[in-house]
This record gives sequence, C-alpha cells and structure tokens, in this order.
Amino acid sequence: MNRIAQGLTLVLLGSAALTSTLLTDMYLNWVKAGFGPFLIAAGVVMVLLGVLVITAELRGESHALDEEAAVPEGAAAAEAGDEGRSELDHAVSEYGSGKSGGHGHDHSRAPWVAWLLLFPVLAVFVIAPPALGSYTVESTGGSAGPPPRDERGPSRFTDNLSEAAPDEVVELNVQEFVMRAWIDEERELAGREIELTGFAVPNPEGEGWYLARLQMACCAADAVVNKVLITDHPAPEADTWWRVRGTWVEPEGDLYEVSQHEISTSSVEEVTNPPDPYE
Amino acid sequence: MSERTTPERDSAPDPAASLGDSIAAGWDERADELPPADWGKEKSSRRTGTVWLFALFTTVMAIAHAWFTDELTSQAFLAWATIFTAISFQALPFLVFGVALSAALVAFVPASAYQRFIPNKPGRAVPVAGISGALLPGCECASVPIAGSLIKRGVAPAAALTFLLAAPSINPIVMIATAVAFAGQPEMILARFVASLLASVVIGWVWVRFGKADWLRLPSRTHAPGASKWQVFRESMLHDMMHAGGYLVVGALAAATLNVMVPREWLLAVAEAPIISVLVLAGLAVLLSICSEADAFVAVSLTDFSPTAKLAFMVIGPIVDLKLIAMQAGVFGWRFVARFVPICLVVGLLSTFLIGGILF
Repeated sequence: MNRIAQGLTLVLLGSAALTSTLLTDMYLNWVKAGFGPFLIAAGVVMVLLGVLVITAELRGESHALDEEAAVPEGAAAAEAGDEGRSELDHAVSEYGSGKSGGHGHDHSRAPWVAWLLLFPVLAVFVIAPPALGSYTVESTGGSAGPPPRDERGPSRFTDNLSEAAPDEVVELNVQEFVMRAWIDEERELAGREIELTGFAVPNPEGEGWYLARLQMACCAADAVVNKVLITDHPAPEADTWWRVRGTWVEPEGDLYEVSQHEISTSSVEEVTNPPDPYE
Repeated sequence: MSERTTPERDSAPDPAASLGDSIAAGWDERADELPPADWGKEKSSRRTGTVWLFALFTTVMAIAHAWFTDELTSQAFLAWATIFTAISFQALPFLVFGVALSAALVAFVPASAYQRFIPNKPGRAVPVAGISGALLPGCECASVPIAGSLIKRGVAPAAALTFLLAAPSINPIVMIATAVAFAGQPEMILARFVASLLASVVIGWVWVRFGKADWLRLPSRTHAPGASKWQVFRESMLHDMMHAGGYLVVGALAAATLNVMVPREWLLAVAEAPIISVLVLAGLAVLLSICSEADAFVAVSLTDFSPTAKLAFMVIGPIVDLKLIAMQAGVFGWRFVARFVPICLVVGLLSTFLIGGILF
C-alpha cells in the first residue's frame, strides 16, 4: 500500500465517520449518541491527516526524507547500541533505531492489513447497517435477568413514575418498566397508566407479541434486550415501531420469579421510527 | 506486504522488474524523448494508478449504494454488519486519540522526560506504570500504540506492557462506569480495581523475569535528521493508524461474527458450575471484545453468573480480547502475542480467583 493509497484510505474513512454523523443520523444505529462529537473529531483528524500525507507525497517531500534516511540508519543503529539512551536525547532522528537492530524497511509502505480499513467505509456507504431489531431480540432468546436481590432499595428508581401525579399517564423506557416490574416490592406500577415506545417482535412460542427495545451502554455489541408481552392486540409486522398505553398485568407471588412482563393495552398506535432506536 | 500482492506496481525500486517493463511498454517510448526514465517517472505512474484505483472504488461504491443497498435484507447479515460497524466506529475515536497521543510522545517529548518519571530498574518501573495506568482515560484501542511508543522512547518493555494492561482496566472512566453498573455493590468496584491492577503488575514482573527482548518486534522507523517535529508527528501517526487500524478491523470482524453466532443459551447452561462458569465468562470476554468502558454494563446483565465469574469478565476483557490480540500483533508481532496472551490469561484468572475468593 503506497502513501497515496494510505492517504486516500484515511480520507475515505474520515468521510465515512463524518457522513454518518454530520450528514445523517446513521451513527445512532451503532453507537451511543454521546459518541457523536468524538466521531466528528476523529473524522476531521483522519481527513486532515490523509490530505497532509497526500500533499506531502505529491510535493515529493517524504520521498526525499526516505532517501536521506537510508544512509544514516545503519550508522545510527550501530552507535546507539543498548546503553546509548542519553546520547540520543539531542535528536529526533534516533527513534526506533536502538532496540530493533535497525533492520531497515521502507516505512512509507503500510502492511496489507491496512486495506481492511476500507471495510468500515464499504459498510457505511454500501450496507448502511440498520439498528439491531427483532432478529436480535429473537436470537438472543431470553432478555436480561433481574438484578441480584441485595441491590434492592426503595430509593433506586429515578424514572418518571416516582414524580408523576397519581392519575397522570407516565412515559417510561421499556427498561425502566421491566426493572419496576421485576424488583419494585412496593408495586408502585400497579394500576398506573403507562406509555411505552418500542418495536414489535413476534412471539414464536406462544400467543401475543413483544414490544421490545434494546438498551445500549456503549455500542451495539453490548446491546441488552428488554421486552414486554402484549396479548390483547393483534401482532403487527416485525420491526414496526409502536407507542403503547396500558397497565401492568400484575403477577401473583414473588416478582423475582416472573419470567416475562405483560402489559394490557388501552391504546396502540404506530409511530415513525424514533431518531435514537436504543435507550 | 504489498510487494507480493501487487508486484507490477511495486517494480520501481527493482531494476530487473520485467513485468513492469512489459506492461509499461508504452511508457518507455515516451520516456525516451524525455531525460532518463528515472524513479520519479515510474513513481508518478504508480501514483496515478492508485488514484484511478480509488476513483474506481468510489464509483463502484456509489453504484452499489444506489442499486444494491435496498436488496440487502438478510437479517443475520445485517445484524452482523451492524455489530461490525458499531465496534469499528466505537473504537475509532479512541484509536485516533491514542495514535495522536503516542505520536506526540514520539515527536515532542524528549526521552529524558521519561527517565525522570519512570524508575530505571524495570522491577520498580512496573508498579509505577501500573498506577499511572489509572490516569489515562481511554480504552484498549488507545493504549496499544501508546505502549509501543513508550518502548521506543526507552521505557522498559515490561513497564510499558504493564501500562498497556492497566490503562484500559482501571482508568477513571472505566471505574465510574463500573460503579454505575454495579450500583450498591462497592465490593465489585474494589474487586475490579485490585484484581486488574494486581494482574497488570504481576504480568509486568513476569515479563521482567522471563521476557526476552527479541520477542518484541518494534517497527524500525528512521527519519532524516532534518525532519521537523511535525513531520515526525505526521509520519508516526500515519504509521500507527495503518497498523493498529488495520488490525482493529480484523478484531472487529471476528468479534462481530462470534457475537452473532454464539447463542446465549449455551452460556446459561453452564452458569451454575462454579469454576467452569468463571472460565466461560472469561472466554466470552475474549470473544466479544467489548470496550472496557462498556463491559461492566454487560457483566451486570449476566445475572445468572456468580460475582467471581462477572469479575473474570471485567478483568480479562480489557487485557485479552480478539480485537486487542489483533492490534498487538500489528504493533509488536505474532511472536510476542503467542507468549504475552497466555501469560495474561493465566495471571488474570489467578488474580480473579484470588480477589474473588477474598472479597465475595
């Protein structure tokens, strides 16, 4: 891979990062919204570096540097030896020559593996990967289990339900709903009108369908499934987005033993995809 | 190297390259009219070829974008592509940050500065490096190039490797993320800090005692004495970006494939077995290659597993994973990886069992 190719690869990769953040919201399909500014910065740095490398190459600058370097390399490596750390301080030129025995390779070339940097470019511009959806929910099987018992405490909920007036409709994340349904011994959820937004996932094993949402800490590789069962409304097409109002179907017995949470719906309406598919 | 893959474009330094000559027969005629058919001439034709290649690539991408994108409907493939892109793009800012920092270390900080801060004796330098790992906010993608440049600046390899392991394991962002994920379980936060630091320092000491200098392959780069600091900075950044970046993609490809293919039910089947469950989560951490700043959130969701198993997930993940192995191979060579990775696995697991046994 010559230097022009390296520079162009960096420009393309940087453009992919900038396209997915500045021109579109595609990056929200893959990473947390908080990564946006960092991706933009990384994209700008890569485009700049690529342009600098190409300009320097076209001016013949780095080529001249290589040729000059070819002569002093052997000498520098020989005199540097192992003990010569302090005497190298004076120059920038020494770096890399001391320990590795000075086997000169043409540093202006990159290994073949650097071509793989074009894969993410292809992924962004050709595949344009969508957010994870029903396929992931179905293939993941069960959702995350309840947190360990000893974590429970009355003040652990910071969701909308804690502040809402008793007769208000409360908008919750699917994750907040599931957490309440699993560990809230006070059962504050009972009888309250809740609003949830998520995508539809068919339930292959039993009746009804799931309203699901993926919870993401950093990027799609660490996505965790949260889902709520709905049985009183006909199953919509998979991966369509729905806003559901209804009340929690309160289970008998120990909440901790419940394997899936159910909501009985009062209204179900389709929504256009929310800008951030994860929560 | 590309010498082998694209001989016809690499022929410039080799006067006996007959393939290049026969292809460039047309060039020779014109070259006869001009002063000697020298390097510059062939080089510029190679450059033109590269530019055409990229122009073609971009055109094909544009056509594929218009005609092909909507045809991709395989759910499994799209999930794979999403996870691959997610891992790549999540690591990219950290990689660029790490590469820029390591280039700055090479170009602007004189070697004498390190000698002031890091003890000369490797045995004493290792714990210092371990503690200083707690200061650099970044994940494992940033620390590989930084460790490489530390070694080049004369820091003892063992100390640089300890830094490489400690920085992604115990830095402030990771510890805060762990505290958020394991709210109400301070012992888990403590266990992670102690076990990771212990493992990093012990691995460093093992390397001091048994490590051999020729296991580490560092790229030898030489710059003309006249090169300005900014030129050194640019060259160093480009070099690290191409090496570490290329291998980051290898790791992301492997991790995405396993992420989509390994069914979660397999995990639940072994969650109850005491020692095996620890090994399974350690193995999962290696395969999934989740960023160390996010792994606590995944660990907390693996609720069927024991605290020690979750600890193993968080101790092993930042020091050994597919993405990291590939990047280390790119910077230090496979000979290094074949020795370093097993040491990390063994010491990391021992440290997990020890700290887990004391605290849980």
